[in-house]
Amino acid sequence: MHIPDGFLDAKTWITTTAAGAGAVAYSLRQAKLALEPKRVPLIALVGAFVFAAQMINFPIAGATSGHFLGGTMVSILFGPWIGALVMTAVLLVQAVVYQDGGITALGANVLCTGFIGCFVGYGSYMLGMKLFRGKGRAIVAWMSAWLSIVAASAGVAVLLAASGTFNLATALTAMVGWHMLIGIGEGMITMLVTGYLMERNAVMTGGGFKNERLSRNRA
Amino acid sequence: MNAYRVTEHRKRWIILALITIAIACLLSPWASSHPDGLERVAEDHGFLHQETAVNELAAIPDYEVAGIPWAAVSIGLAGAIGIMIMAAVLFGLTRSLTRSGGDRNEQRTDGLEGIDRI
Repeated sequence: MHIPDGFLDAKTWITTTAAGAGAVAYSLRQAKLALEPKRVPLIALVGAFVFAAQMINFPIAGATSGHFLGGTMVSILFGPWIGALVMTAVLLVQAVVYQDGGITALGANVLCTGFIGCFVGYGSYMLGMKLFRGKGRAIVAWMSAWLSIVAASAGVAVLLAASGTFNLATALTAMVGWHMLIGIGEGMITMLVTGYLMERNAVMTGGGFKNERLSRNRA
Repeated sequence: MNAYRVTEHRKRWIILALITIAIACLLSPWASSHPDGLERVAEDHGFLHQETAVNELAAIPDYEVAGIPWAAVSIGLAGAIGIMIMAAVLFGLTRSLTRSGGDRNEQRTDGLEGIDRI
């Protein structure tokens, strides 16, 4: 779901470029606080995986394809601020080197597939883990990734409607409809990869909020 | 979540790296070429023609390295280049984020030493 140049009108792409730049600048500061040096090569590797996986369009219904985005996956692994930065870097390389996603639409893509994807995915993952007390982690990961794609597609629909391409109700129905299907693939990959790369903490903490925050930064 | 953390088993990360290389180099040429969700919507609602490309300098447009007659090689190479760029960009970015605090302190120390010598 990479918005190309030409789909967004000037007021929309200028606004989203400014907002996207602000969000990335803020994430850089937040990520710096959460980042551990030993995570550096792992983040680089996961970013490369996201790029590779995004190349693989899988067929869905009606001569249409979808592909993985990855915001929820990276955010579950490293937190949403680092997740948003990884997604921004992927979108930047795709737009600059591969002409995939517009330059004028980069801010919009960063906001939708980057920030909406990461924060909706991470937020619903954390909520699900709390509600089910850590049980059913795989299903929670699947659902939160699915939800993040649907939310990101709704974001794109709003921007398209704001640009006057078509009205909001039609845009939302069309975009959300297709991405409810594409989200199934997103959920599968997120569930499998996070399941493979995560393990239970050997020492269970007492469950205080402070402890949770500390260990979340570590995780 | 406090109950889970990323694994420290080196083997699992190495396997992720191998999977990444396999997807980028070997699987990528076989991806579906049908329009994706957004392109489908744009086509159905008659605004696909609005698509333009501002960035005419893109080195590898549409994930095909120019001048290679075999599509599988051309796309696989585009994938290989992509994962290397991604890993390098993110390694550089995140490393600079972990180091920028320390660097500033070092520079400040250097500066003070300079002043002391004067």
